[in-house]
Amino acid sequence: MKTTLGVAAALATIALMGPAPASAQQVSCPVKIGGILPLTGSMAPITKKIAESAQLALEHINQGGGIKGCPVELVLRDDQGQPTVGVDAAKYLVEVERVPAITGTISSGVTGPIISSVTGPSKIVQISCCSTASAFTLDGRSGGYFFRTLPTSKTQAFATASEITRRGLKKTAIIYVNTDFGVDMTKFVKLALPKLGGEIVAEVPYNDNQSSYRAEVTKALAAKPESLLLIGFPKDAVTIVREWLSLGGPQQIALNNSMRVMDFVNGVGPRFLNESFGMDNAQVAGPTVDAFNQAFEAKYKTDSKGPGVHTQYDALMVLGLAMNIAKDLTGPSIKDAVRQVHAAGGAQVGTGPEEFKKAISLIKDGKPIKYFGATGPIEFDANGDVTGPALVWKIKDGEIVTDRVISIEEMQALFKKVE
Amino acid sequence: MLGQAIADGILTGAIIALGAIGVSFGLQILRFANFAHSELVTWGAYLALVFVTFAGPGTPTGPLSFGWQLIAAMVFAGVLTGVLAWVVDILVFRRLRNSDAHPLSMVFAAFGVALVMRHVVVLIWGHGSYFYTRELQIALEVLPGIRMLPDQIFILGLTFVVVAAMHLYLTYSRTGMAMRAMAESPSLARVCGVQVESVVRWTWFISGGLAAMAGVFLGLTPQLHPEMGFNLLLALFAAAILGGAGSLIGAVVGGLLVGLAENLSVLFISPGYKTAMPFLVLLLVLFFRPQGLFGEKEGSR
Repeated sequence: MKTTLGVAAALATIALMGPAPASAQQVSCPVKIGGILPLTGSMAPITKKIAESAQLALEHINQGGGIKGCPVELVLRDDQGQPTVGVDAAKYLVEVERVPAITGTISSGVTGPIISSVTGPSKIVQISCCSTASAFTLDGRSGGYFFRTLPTSKTQAFATASEITRRGLKKTAIIYVNTDFGVDMTKFVKLALPKLGGEIVAEVPYNDNQSSYRAEVTKALAAKPESLLLIGFPKDAVTIVREWLSLGGPQQIALNNSMRVMDFVNGVGPRFLNESFGMDNAQVAGPTVDAFNQAFEAKYKTDSKGPGVHTQYDALMVLGLAMNIAKDLTGPSIKDAVRQVHAAGGAQVGTGPEEFKKAISLIKDGKPIKYFGATGPIEFDANGDVTGPALVWKIKDGEIVTDRVISIEEMQALFKKVE
Repeated sequence: MLGQAIADGILTGAIIALGAIGVSFGLQILRFANFAHSELVTWGAYLALVFVTFAGPGTPTGPLSFGWQLIAAMVFAGVLTGVLAWVVDILVFRRLRNSDAHPLSMVFAAFGVALVMRHVVVLIWGHGSYFYTRELQIALEVLPGIRMLPDQIFILGLTFVVVAAMHLYLTYSRTGMAMRAMAESPSLARVCGVQVESVVRWTWFISGGLAAMAGVFLGLTPQLHPEMGFNLLLALFAAAILGGAGSLIGAVVGGLLVGLAENLSVLFISPGYKTAMPFLVLLLVLFFRPQGLFGEKEGSR
């Protein structure tokens, strides 16, 4: 009896091993993709649309032929905006549901721990719609398994540096808020500005919620800068800019995206801001973006505006495409395949089920594809980050107006120049 | 750079000093740490805003960015904030005092009062920022390398006049003497016929008035928001303890030291650590003089 069992086991093993190359294509249906989003908690109001967008992407993937002929299932878990809950959710998805890839999550404070303790060590591909902290893709914790479909603070920082030099401002002082965001932005501006022909003459951090910033401003002014780059949040920025101007600082002031609100402009006084300018991420236009917007509106009877809605769709679509391209559904294969989703010289594919169907048939024929998503061209850089277009805004007649748009091609050229 | 840092430090210090006087009186005369004091600063600023909203900030007088209306607003706010402080005492602190509440209960009551007061400000005026005036002044070079705004010079001048007047008042008036007697020893003062409730009332009134003045000055440089007083709270306590509880001159010197410590530290270390400096100075002083710079040692007399 024992022998029979042993033989059977051996046979079974051989049977499993034998057709190994062929079985790589035969995956067990349905294919599961993990999802982690803060469905409850303080982020819940913005998550609703993001989750709907994920659902839409899933539908498009399934209507377009699924993954390797299988229907796809999204196993969505709630992280409540809390790191511990998020890590538990990720562990469940990886160890119990055995998903080969995860999309999520929103808060960088949750995404970080998930990368370091779950997806990084278990070599599971993770694509986030919304977490911007640059450290994830730079400090090596992800091992290259983490991607995101929204531009990081790097995009804004590089755009700012290029606009400062374009305006012929050589000596710049930076005053930045002493948080991860401010430190991150400053780091990238410091990287870019010298390479583009500018110079940073002072770097002054500030802590928020103080009644006065004269000491910080005085310190920045001591270096005799031609312009100020202020990275922070509107309330304190009003105080800083007013003190800066009062103490004789130049009106050439570069601002980050948080200052693109009328509270800031009216607080300082628009007439003092005629020479200042700011940055923000620009909305991409294009047929694939329009197609997504229409599909979203048709399904949910509401517009697709809002943070993360477009990037979440792309996060899932990229996974769908990459898992079709990958030779098998293991983490390392999917990771490599993610980079072939927007291949140079590939045939252009867009959003929606028809386009997904087209992509699958191209992949089956062994042809390269080039995905243009709900946020435009999705091309991951060496770190797994994407760039996006940026816009330069300024204040004219008391209103915030767009000065010019830095296209995604220009941004990519800028990235190449700096890095 | 050094001169500018000293000038900035004195200016910040003057505003802190005005608020610290009330904290110092609270510690010594009322015998508890009044964490709601910072909200009197906020209320003072917003009450002056009410006056300015109706009267307008006035046409800029000379080099100043405001007219007589703001001075009137400050007086108006000072009186009303003084009354407000007294009303809060009747509603909350007097009851606790009369029932011999533990000092810690008083402190927690003060926390509660502070929260309520701050949120009433939010309820009435909202979270946004307000300004007394939209004018933006350009600093004058008063000494080589030292730039100050005309408004700031005015604030400094007025602060010193008020502090000097307060000092004279406390030294020579009957109320002032009674307040000092209370600060020394409440029971002895009562035995000697000091009207305790009247002294308490005056203490609250003066503290509130000075807090309002600090609030208006804070609002001039340059904005009012509901957390403006709260953000100053630790600095106020540092100044009051540094100078020695109960001492007017101590509170003023403490305020100036806090302001100078913050601003001068920027010359040597990253401004990111600026807000910690006053507490370093505070620790150093307390190691050598636990009663504060101008405080009397308990039981020394």
